[in-house]
Formats: sequence, C-alpha cells, structure tokens
Amino acid sequence: MTKQISAGFRKKRRATFFLLLLLIGPVFVVFTVFVILPVFQAAAYSLYRWNGLGPPTDFRGLQNFVVLVKDTIFQKALTHNILIVVFSLVVELPIALSLAIIVGRGRLKLAVFFRTFFFLPFVLSEVITGVLWQFIYQPQYGLINSLVKTFSPASHVIAPLGDPSTVFWAILIVIIWKYFGLHMTIYIAGLQGIPSELEEAARIDGASSAQVLRFIVLPLLATTIQITVFFSIIGSFQIFDLIWAMGQGDPVNGAETMVTYLYKFGFQRFNLGYGSSVAVVIFVICLTFSIVYQRLLLRERQG
Amino acid sequence: MMAVTTYRRQVVSSTLKYAVCVVVFIVIAVPLYIAIFGGMKSMGELQTAPLSVPLPLVTTMYTDLLLSHVGSFWRDLGNSLVIGAVTLFLDLALCSVAAFALARIKFRLSGLIYNYFLLGLLFPLAVAILPLYLTLRTLGLVNSYWGVILPQVAFQVPWNIVLLRGFFQSIPRDLEDAVAIDGYGPLGFFFYAVLPLSTPILATAAIIALVASWNNFFLPLLVFNDAAKFTLPMGVMDFMGQHITGWNIILAFLTLAMIPAVALFIFAQKYIVAGLTSGAVKG
Amino acid sequence: MKRYVAIAAVCVAGFLFAACSAGSTGPAKVSFWHIDVQHKDFWQGLANKYTAAHPNVTITITVLDNEAFKAKAATVMQSGNPPDLFQSWGGGVMAEYASAGLLRDITKWVKGTDWGKTMAPGVIAVYSYKGKQYGMPYDMGAVTFWYNKDMLAKAGYTSFPNTWDDFVAMLTKLKSTGVTPVALSEGDKWPGMFWWAYLAMRIGGEPAFDNILSGQGKFTDPPFIQAGQKLVQLSGLKVFEDGFLGAKQADGAALVGNAKAAMELMGQWGPSVEASSAVNKVGIGASLDTAPFPTVAGGAGAGTDVLGGGNGFAVGKNAPDAAVDFLKFVTSVDNNSTLAATGSIVPTAIGADAAITDPLMKAVKGIVDKAGYFQLYLDQFYTPAVGGAINDAVQQIFAGTQTPDQAAAAIQAAYDANK
Repeated sequence: MTKQISAGFRKKRRATFFLLLLLIGPVFVVFTVFVILPVFQAAAYSLYRWNGLGPPTDFRGLQNFVVLVKDTIFQKALTHNILIVVFSLVVELPIALSLAIIVGRGRLKLAVFFRTFFFLPFVLSEVITGVLWQFIYQPQYGLINSLVKTFSPASHVIAPLGDPSTVFWAILIVIIWKYFGLHMTIYIAGLQGIPSELEEAARIDGASSAQVLRFIVLPLLATTIQITVFFSIIGSFQIFDLIWAMGQGDPVNGAETMVTYLYKFGFQRFNLGYGSSVAVVIFVICLTFSIVYQRLLLRERQG
Repeated sequence: MMAVTTYRRQVVSSTLKYAVCVVVFIVIAVPLYIAIFGGMKSMGELQTAPLSVPLPLVTTMYTDLLLSHVGSFWRDLGNSLVIGAVTLFLDLALCSVAAFALARIKFRLSGLIYNYFLLGLLFPLAVAILPLYLTLRTLGLVNSYWGVILPQVAFQVPWNIVLLRGFFQSIPRDLEDAVAIDGYGPLGFFFYAVLPLSTPILATAAIIALVASWNNFFLPLLVFNDAAKFTLPMGVMDFMGQHITGWNIILAFLTLAMIPAVALFIFAQKYIVAGLTSGAVKG
Repeated sequence: MKRYVAIAAVCVAGFLFAACSAGSTGPAKVSFWHIDVQHKDFWQGLANKYTAAHPNVTITITVLDNEAFKAKAATVMQSGNPPDLFQSWGGGVMAEYASAGLLRDITKWVKGTDWGKTMAPGVIAVYSYKGKQYGMPYDMGAVTFWYNKDMLAKAGYTSFPNTWDDFVAMLTKLKSTGVTPVALSEGDKWPGMFWWAYLAMRIGGEPAFDNILSGQGKFTDPPFIQAGQKLVQLSGLKVFEDGFLGAKQADGAALVGNAKAAMELMGQWGPSVEASSAVNKVGIGASLDTAPFPTVAGGAGAGTDVLGGGNGFAVGKNAPDAAVDFLKFVTSVDNNSTLAATGSIVPTAIGADAAITDPLMKAVKGIVDKAGYFQLYLDQFYTPAVGGAINDAVQQIFAGTQTPDQAAAAIQAAYDANK
C-alpha cells in the first residue's frame, strides 16, 4: 500500500518536473544565454587585452580597470551619468509629480487630453527624438537660432550641440522632455489608487490643499515615488541611444556617458577587453546601488 | 462670503493649472509641429520662417519618400514590423507559460527561479552588449533577424514575468478547483481559464514588448550589417547621414517614422498606461 | 559546428584541386559596400554592367555615408564576416584587419600582372601590408585648401599665401570682410586632423614621422607640439564657423558651397560635397580654386610634401574570385576614366588622368605627382585605436580643453598601449 502511494507520488512528481521543464525551460535558456551569461563573460574578458578576434590570450589582470579609473574621459562620462541621475531626481521627477497632481485627478476639463499628450514624447524612439532636437539646436537652420535672430538680429549664432560646455545641458533638456511623461503617468496611476474619501475627510476637517498634499497624498504615493526613483536611476546609468543620436557624446566628450564610452573605446577601437571592463563597472554600480537602495527602504519601512 | 473666496481661489488655481498645462503643451508640440511642417518647406523657408505654416504646402518630399526610391522608408518599416511582431509573439508565448508555472505550480525552486529572472532588471542591454555580440557571433546570428529578436525577447523576460506572474497569482483559487473538477490539469487550467481571463494583461505585455522592439537602436546597430535589414531607427540615422544638409527632407522622413509609433500609442494607450502602472505598483 | 567543419573541409579540398579558385564557373554572390553617396548611380551602373557580362554573378551594394560606414565597419569586422568588397583607405586600419585574418590576400592577382601595371607602385603599396596585397584604390589625391577666389580678392589677395604667417594674416583680413574665413567641420574630428598633420609635416618633415615608426621619436617631439601650438594660435583668431566643434563635413562644405565661408582644408572630394550640400546644388562654380598647404618658416618639410589618400576597396576574407575580378573591372582604365570625368576623384589607373576635364582636379593630380613625401591620412595610417586618439586629441586642441602638450601625450600613450 505505502509502496503504491510512493510510486504514484514519484510518478506525479516526475510529471510535474517535465511540465515545469516544458513551461519554464525555454525562457530560462533564452534568458540565461542572452542576459546572464554575457555579464559573466564580460567579467572574464575584462581581464584581458583583446581585440575581439580569436580567443583572448593576453592576460592583464586588473590592468584594464587601473587604466579605466585613471582615464579622464571615463571620469567625465561617469560624472555625466551622475548628473543625469541628479537632474532626473531633482528636476524631472518633481515636474512629473506636479503635473500628475494637476492633470491626474480629473477636476480640470481637458485633463485627459493633456495627460495623453504629455506622454507622447515617451513613445517616440530615442533616435527620432535625438535627430529632431538636433535640428532644433542646429546653428544654421534650427529653431533656436531662428528665434534668436528674429528677436535680436545682431546676436551671435549659438550652437548648443557644437560647444563642449553646453552640449550636455542641451541633451539633458531633451532627456527631461522625453521622459517626464512616463513618470507622470506612473504617478497618476498611484494617485488614482488613493481613496478620495480620505481627502474629502481631511478637507472637511479644514485642511488646505497644501496640507492635503503634504500629509495625505505624498505619504500614500511614497511607494510609487520610490519605484520611479529606482527606475530613473538605473535608466540614467544605461543611457545611450539618445546621446548617440545627438552627436555621439562629442564634441570633446562633452556629453560622453559610460555606455557611449564603452561603445567607442571598446568596439570602435578594437579593445574588447577594455570595453568589457567598462561594462563590469556599470554593472557593479547598478548592483551596488540597487542593494543599498533596497536596504535603505527596508530599514525605513521597519523603522 | 466664505463661499465666494473659495470660489475665487478655485478660479485662480484652475487658471494657473491651465497656464502650466498650456506651457508644457507648447514645449512638447512645437518640436513635433516643426518636424511635420518642416518637411513641407524649402530650406530657405525653414530658416526664415520656422514657425509658419508653409504656403503652398510642398508635399513633394513626402511623396518622394513614400512613392519613389528616395530613402528606404517602406523597407525599414517592414523590417521593424517583422522584428517587432516576432519579438512580441515569442515574448508572450514563452513568458506567459513560465509566469504561469511560477504563479500557480508549487515547487521548491519557484522563488529562486523568480528571483533569478528578477536579476535581469539590473542587467541593462548596454552592459551585456560586447559579450552578447560575441555570443551572437558564435551562434552565427550576426546580420540575421534572430540576432536582434532573441536578445530582445530575453531582455524583456524580467518585466513580463513580473507583470504576468502578479496577474496570474490574483486569479482566484476557486476557479482552478472548478476546472480541476472538470478533469483538467494545470495545462487545461492555463489554456481554458487563465488565458481567456488575461487578455488585457497580455495586450499590455505585448505592447510594451512591441514599443521596446520598435525603438531599439543599439542592438540592431551592432547586429545588422546589411542595409536591407535596417530597422526604422537605423534608417533614420542612415538617411540623416546621407542627406545631412537637407534638413527639410530629413524632417519629412522623421515625421513618417514617427507615425507608426504615435498611431499605435493612440490606438493602444489604455494598455500601455495600464502596463506601466501595474508593473510599477506591483514592482 | 559540424556542418561548419564540413564546409571548411570541402573548401580546403577545393583549394587543393584548384576548383574553388578558378571560380568563374559557378554562381557567385558579391557583397559590395561603398561610401560614395554622391555617385550612387555610377557604382550601380558599374555593377549592372559587370553582371550583364557575367550573368552568374550577383552584386549586392550597400551605400553608407562616411561616418556611418566607419561606425559600422568596426562591428562588421568584429563579426568576423566582412563584406566581399568594402571601402578602405588602406594603411594601418586595413593592416589591423589583415593581421586579424579578415582580408583576402590578392597578391597573385596584382603583383607583376597587367592589372598591377595599371597603377604606380607607390599607389598600390598603400593597400598592401607586409608585402601582401589586400585591396586596390581607384582614387588617390591630396588634402588641399578649397577656397573662394572672389572672397580672397575682396580681402586683397589674388593668390593663395605660400607661408603659414601670410596665411594667418589673410584669415584676419578675410574675417574683417564679414565672411567666415574657414569652415573647419570639426564635429567629424578628422578634418581637424588634416590641419595638425600638415603642420607637423611642414615643421618636422618626413623624419618626424619616420622616427615614430622606428621608435626613435615620439608624438611628444617638438614638431607635433609646435603643430598644436599653431592650432591654438589659429583658434584664438576665431576664424572658424559658428559651432565648428559640432559641424559635420557636409555642414562645412555647405558653407563654402553657399558662399558663406571662404575655404576648407579638404581632400579631393571637397568640391563634389560642396556642390551636393549647397542650396543651389552646384556650389560656387568658377569662384572655387585649390592651393597646397603653406610652408612654415624654418620647418624641415617641403611645400610639396603631401598629406593625402583616397578611396579604394579591400577584399574580405570570404570573397569569391568574382569579387576580385569585379575590383579589377572597377579599377580598370576605362571605368576609372569615367569616374574621373565627373571631377570628383583623382584616378589611380595610369592613363585615366587624361579623362580629367576639371582643371581643379588636374591641379590636385599635379600636387600628388610632385609629392616627394606622401603621407596617408593619420587616422588611417595608424591602427584604429591610435588614429582615433589622434582625432580626439586634435579636437581637444581646437576646443581648448587640452594643451598641445597634453594632446601629444595622450596620442603617445595610445600609441604605446597599442604597439
């Protein structure tokens, strides 16, 4: 009797195993081959000087990292990534949140229209956005200069993307232009999850709009905000397409980011070992950040 | 008296809100407007009258791009469509069953495997790009559609698993029991009960995958050597390189390249927004 | 994998029996990449003509603009599967591909053959590495000034200055007439390299560059530093176009072609890009003239030394014989003459120069022929890593973000790291 059960049980377990293999197996393989393994490979290649052709043989230990850390262009690229993070957090997210509060709770006529329209730039591809703004900034034909000339014909031509001291800021504007709508939309969803009774009750108790915002809306939106913060930081470290489409991080590395650096110095110059060390650094930054961030949030929730 | 001040305050506040909205509206609309009408202007007009509506409308640039062999709009569009469609299909097919297994079948490694997939959220494509490229080279996938499709599917996996698993978990246990009484196992439950219920969430996942594939530039840039396989974003960059001072026709090409994404957005915005928000809320 | 081995084995066997290399019998597919955006029709016409005579051959053409090609070349080479025929400037970049086994050795087709005799040995040598031939050029010209005679006349100059000091003085005068003296197009980086390279050549002469190759000299030697200093001096005069650090070559060419800027320092393709980028699509016509780079007082280099190069095609490692045969067809005297007649190249085939009708191209041809020392564009002469470092460093000098010493040190560091 017991034997029979255990045989049946084993059979069932085997069936479940094969079922799981069938259901999870394919995606597991694809994910492992194209996402997980490459990161480990990058770690291995980063220890070599290697042009990517033939097997890597010229083992250099951590030399790539030493060169990388000392390289002023990489330092510049890292600084730019950090600045993008900072401006996403202190400019883009507050803009997104304010607009979400304005158009997110349906009291305004046309709110739905604005809400939809503000999301539009996010749908355009980075390349299309980049080329479009390249035109707007273009010194001979672009909008900015046409406007400048209309209002003060004598003034000098400005070329925001042609000046290493302005190119980064010019692109930063585009980043905000393109992505604020995404965060706004996420906030709107969060806002809609807040029961309106809470707010009404507070108002009846005589709370002002600002107080409602400060003591009811924002605290309840905390989780949503934490998530957008997380994604905008991870996203900031990975930015490539938009920068590439707006002048490849140049002139003079004025808008270089870690990924454009990786592509230029890894791929285009046949230094795949070196490029891999850049990849490892980006990954370690993302990983460290997310672990620290989660720890902080956990502590906050517990505390 | 009290009511009047409140009313006045409300008027002021909503006027202010409108003003803010209108300013943001202009900031977004002007570049788009310029692209659309810039493609109908001569170079001189582009420079002297950037904001005017061109009169008469010169549509030759659009017709050249669409009807004669200036640029390769249709070819690029076709490639983007094929790649997007296959990516989307594979994504849904592979991820829905896996997410189902992780959501509804109890087994020891379930949590571990789920976290393994979550790890992917931290692995940006850019980080993996060099070795990924070498992997594609080893597998002989360089310059093939699969070389773009498979990595795209793979990098979408974590998002889809999060999205779908969450939804599948929310399907009531009673339903599974009811299906079981009818003699169906887990697979029957999946096909006859879960899938029909999940159309909205699948649509959301599909659209997110499609948009990601549609806008992807870095991966096709590396993988495709043959211009016949270029996608729309690559086509835009290529066209710009070849017509670098002809900004009017570049703007026309840009406008055409924007249309599919904007159309999709208008058509499916409900699902896009739902996806972003449910992913975020459950995150 | 197994299949791959099998195919390789068949091919090896094929070579042994000389069945593969006789080649012209079976159907062949040739992938062909060029960057001559201005003359797409010409190249398509050549391919059509060739395939009409060889119906078993199909030629697939990919046209990319210069910058897109350079970006793409890096990855297509990494893929280990290069196109059968592709744009190449020869030199160190080509050598890097060759040493990685990515190119097909076509020495036996060229050396001592009729084809090999159609070009001067020095011209052919640009496309060889360690004694082996990997490609052939169809265009070999010089970097010269392309300038607007009318604008110079307005500034009081009837001829182009011969010395650097006179040249600098002229730029100041040009500026006072209200035009942009120089379209630099430094957004593409390599146009600025032309300036730096020419100054280093004029100051240090051939020995400065020879010493680097032999290891006796460095990029931190005086000629290279002084070249940088002269560029700093030039930048101080503010004689470049607005936004020159972001301007692409076609942007600068458009300024010359639209008669907004007085000159650009550019290769032999200068006039044709100026024409196609200009609003009127013809450029400034008879007002355009060309002149060699001026000499520097006290410099070791001669005014006849030339920085130049041109265009040609390298042969990918998997190229069928038909690809090599098509290359031979492309570079033949007849076809080279046809392209030469458009006035956009300096032909390489001996005798094709008779077809040059454009006096400016004839002038460039004269400059090339008189060259005692011919230096290939530096970004192609060295490996991609060093060439890239040179272009970057020169842009830094123009931007004022690095001193000439720092720039030179950066180049030397890249050179040392990639030896």
